[in-house]
Amino acid sequence: MRLFKKTNINFMAARGKMYILSSAIIAVGLISLFIKGVNYGIDFRGGTELVMSFSERADYGQLRAALGKAGFGDSEIKSFGNDQTILIRTTQQGEGMIVANKIKDAIQTSLPNQSFQVLREDKIGPKIGKELRRDAVYAVVASLFVILGYVAIRYKFLYGMGAVLALYHDVLLTLGIISLLDGVVPYLNLEITQEIIAAFLTIIGLSVNDTVVVFDRIRENSKIYRSLSLMDIMNKSLNETLSRTIITSGTILIVLLVLLFAGGEVTRGFAFALTIGIITGTYSSIYIASAIVLDTTLRVKKPE
Amino acid sequence: MILAAVVVSLIFLYPTFQDYQYRKKLVSLSGPDSISYLDQHQDDILSAKLKRIKLGLDLQGGMRVVLEVDVIKLLEDIAKNKDDNFGAIIKEVRDQATNNDESVIPIFGRKFQERGIRMSRYYGNIRDVDAAILSQLDGETAKAVDRAIEIVRNRVDQYRVSEPNIQKQGTRRIIVELPGVKDESEVRSLLQGTAKLEFRLLRDAAISYKVMQSIDDYLSGKVAADTSSSAKTAKKEEKPKDALEELLGNKKPSNADTTNEAKFTREHPFFANVTPDQRNTGEGFVLDNNRDRVIRLLERPDVQRLLPADFEFQWSAKTTPTPDGKKFYHLYAVKRTPELTGGVVVEARATVDQGTNRPIVNMEMNSEGAREWARITGANVNKRIAISLDNAVFSAPTVINKIVGGHSQITGMESPNEARLLEIVLKAGALPAPVSIIEQRSVGPSLGEDSIRSGLNSTVLAFLLTILFMAVYYHSAGAIADVALLFNVLFILGVMAGFSATLTLPGIAGVVLTLGIAVDANVLINERVREELAGGKTLRAAIDAGYARAFTAIVDSNVTTFLTGVVLYQFGTGPIQGFALTLMIGIAASMFTAIIITRVIFNIMMSKGLNPNFG
Repeated sequence: MRLFKKTNINFMAARGKMYILSSAIIAVGLISLFIKGVNYGIDFRGGTELVMSFSERADYGQLRAALGKAGFGDSEIKSFGNDQTILIRTTQQGEGMIVANKIKDAIQTSLPNQSFQVLREDKIGPKIGKELRRDAVYAVVASLFVILGYVAIRYKFLYGMGAVLALYHDVLLTLGIISLLDGVVPYLNLEITQEIIAAFLTIIGLSVNDTVVVFDRIRENSKIYRSLSLMDIMNKSLNETLSRTIITSGTILIVLLVLLFAGGEVTRGFAFALTIGIITGTYSSIYIASAIVLDTTLRVKKPE
Repeated sequence: MILAAVVVSLIFLYPTFQDYQYRKKLVSLSGPDSISYLDQHQDDILSAKLKRIKLGLDLQGGMRVVLEVDVIKLLEDIAKNKDDNFGAIIKEVRDQATNNDESVIPIFGRKFQERGIRMSRYYGNIRDVDAAILSQLDGETAKAVDRAIEIVRNRVDQYRVSEPNIQKQGTRRIIVELPGVKDESEVRSLLQGTAKLEFRLLRDAAISYKVMQSIDDYLSGKVAADTSSSAKTAKKEEKPKDALEELLGNKKPSNADTTNEAKFTREHPFFANVTPDQRNTGEGFVLDNNRDRVIRLLERPDVQRLLPADFEFQWSAKTTPTPDGKKFYHLYAVKRTPELTGGVVVEARATVDQGTNRPIVNMEMNSEGAREWARITGANVNKRIAISLDNAVFSAPTVINKIVGGHSQITGMESPNEARLLEIVLKAGALPAPVSIIEQRSVGPSLGEDSIRSGLNSTVLAFLLTILFMAVYYHSAGAIADVALLFNVLFILGVMAGFSATLTLPGIAGVVLTLGIAVDANVLINERVREELAGGKTLRAAIDAGYARAFTAIVDSNVTTFLTGVVLYQFGTGPIQGFALTLMIGIAASMFTAIIITRVIFNIMMSKGLNPNFG
């Protein structure tokens, strides 16, 4: 079976349009990031979080009233996977699990017909939250540097730069989409948690994977076809690797879609971020990474 | 090599499988059957449990607590001549330390410099320079953290949580993971209370032996203990028979069993579990496997009534190994009221005795303590005093002579480590290292179950879909890649079991992801072979060229992903590390399976004249 015949698409010719497309999506994402921001999970914010499973469908209004009476009117209440499972979160911390216990008591007294089971309770101090945020930023930046270094050594510095810029593109785009869609799609919890950070790092890893495969082919082809221009070589290489790129991304996408729909609430946000990331990663390794290398090479060469 | 890898993986995975089997068996058996099964296979079950792939707290439920040692409080406690200036500095340091994560000591030093105050006013010798004092304080705080860890470990050991995980994070944090524990208030007091260091006199060996004898008699039914009261409160749980049941469980030998051992157990049930020391020290030895049952027995009210006034059993904190590889706890008979409590200890230091070259611990007491200590030691020469922390005995040295002036030397340690531990224990009473809980998470087991189920289901489903796709798309070459994929999963799990790594939910995600990456390597190869075939090469030449050319791309792409894994592992915490670990293991395994195993299979097929089909 073969999904792709030998293709001969002039990818590089369309790079101008693609720059515009990418910039537009990123711009929308950035606007959303500035206006709406991202929703930091409890890991990064600190506070108390409870996941409770109720015996019957829980009424949000009643819950909110119960919490308001106990002095937790500022808490967030949202569904966790289904109608009976509720996530309650407040930024209040208190000594130990006092806050969690108060919440449980309040619900117990205000909703006597409901019985519930606590599935999870977390309390994160503000200091930890801050540190985790810092560590996450370090991790992303450090991995970008590591990748820049490795690609620059194995190929050329410009290639390393192209790869890293493509990665910035992926991360920004995914972050923008997460900011845009958070709270819009039901049952999809798109908070920035530690798992989402792991997802971002995986996106970086997989996207650079794709990019490197293309670069590898470009390097190989530039040795064989010395007479061709860099643009032609890139187009040829992209076409040759297209089948592989799509098949690989496709299989990973299958895995992620399964995780997204069947993996349960806990991994859903993670799988969603990765799904977006894989799509942008595949696209960026075709258009962004190579295109940047091409444009910068052309610009560097011109003055000579 | 492939065979070796498979065999090694299987060996590592066997305990996991065994553990699963045992648990299935235990679930299928009911009540007494399951207990007797547990007893019969205790050692095997335990060893399987130790070597299996462990499940993270998110998968099995439990509590995770992060403690922070209050270093500033410690600095305040050990300062002398404290005045207003000092108080102001402490306050500023505290404010600044909560706002950023810089280590406390440098901030502390800087504050002194800003104010132009010499640190020697409050610490060390008057002639000491600031740098020397700072480095000394640094050592002091590091020790305080070690002490806090030891205290926490001691308590968790006493609490008998299965497979607790206690580790140091950074310079002053302690992570405590307690699987299966739900009672959060109990755990909080367990972790946060002040350590209780006590010196208690051991009861005479003769009395200790007599008490053990009376318990033994009671259990074997030779005497009815305290008939009057047991007649009045003849509750069900207070009969010797039930006490015996508690101690022996289903290990109770049947009357038909006529071996000497069975006879002894029947006649002396207590001594069958608690061996009195032959050297007449009054101690009892209990094998670690039997400890839980003996503890339960001793806690029973009817057994407690057998103990004389001012008599209590205390356990040793650590086990002692025997030459044949068994481990036992010491059971000490001590007085109920402590002679002294740890507040009197001002300094303890583990060193090596210059004369004998043996490890020793020097202990200093304050003047009040020294006075008491002189009286106690003077009245109890040649008797033993147990040093216990939170009711666990760490050492029970014999008083050699009256100690005046508060300076004592404790000898008889087996190793420098033992001496170091005793130093920590003694100091725990003197300089409590206050800890506060800064993070606490608990996961109910039902969420754990749910996440395991959906995690596993989705992994299996994703795996099947991928396998199906590969076989359809690349025909027999795809099927070969699938075989490699199976090996890949086997290796990942094998390596994880080998490292006794912990499988968490993000870890499962990592496995799923590596499957994708592993497929990618084969897609790269197969696409390349197809190209070479289309270019007119023979099958064998195309395969050779395909592997050779795809190799650099696979290596480069995998190395970069692997490097991100390394970075993640380095900077990440908890769940992210779990993910990074499986990712790294997975990539290493997939390089091996996707490149080498498939190649070997192709070669074997070709040599047999079977031509693989690349679709």
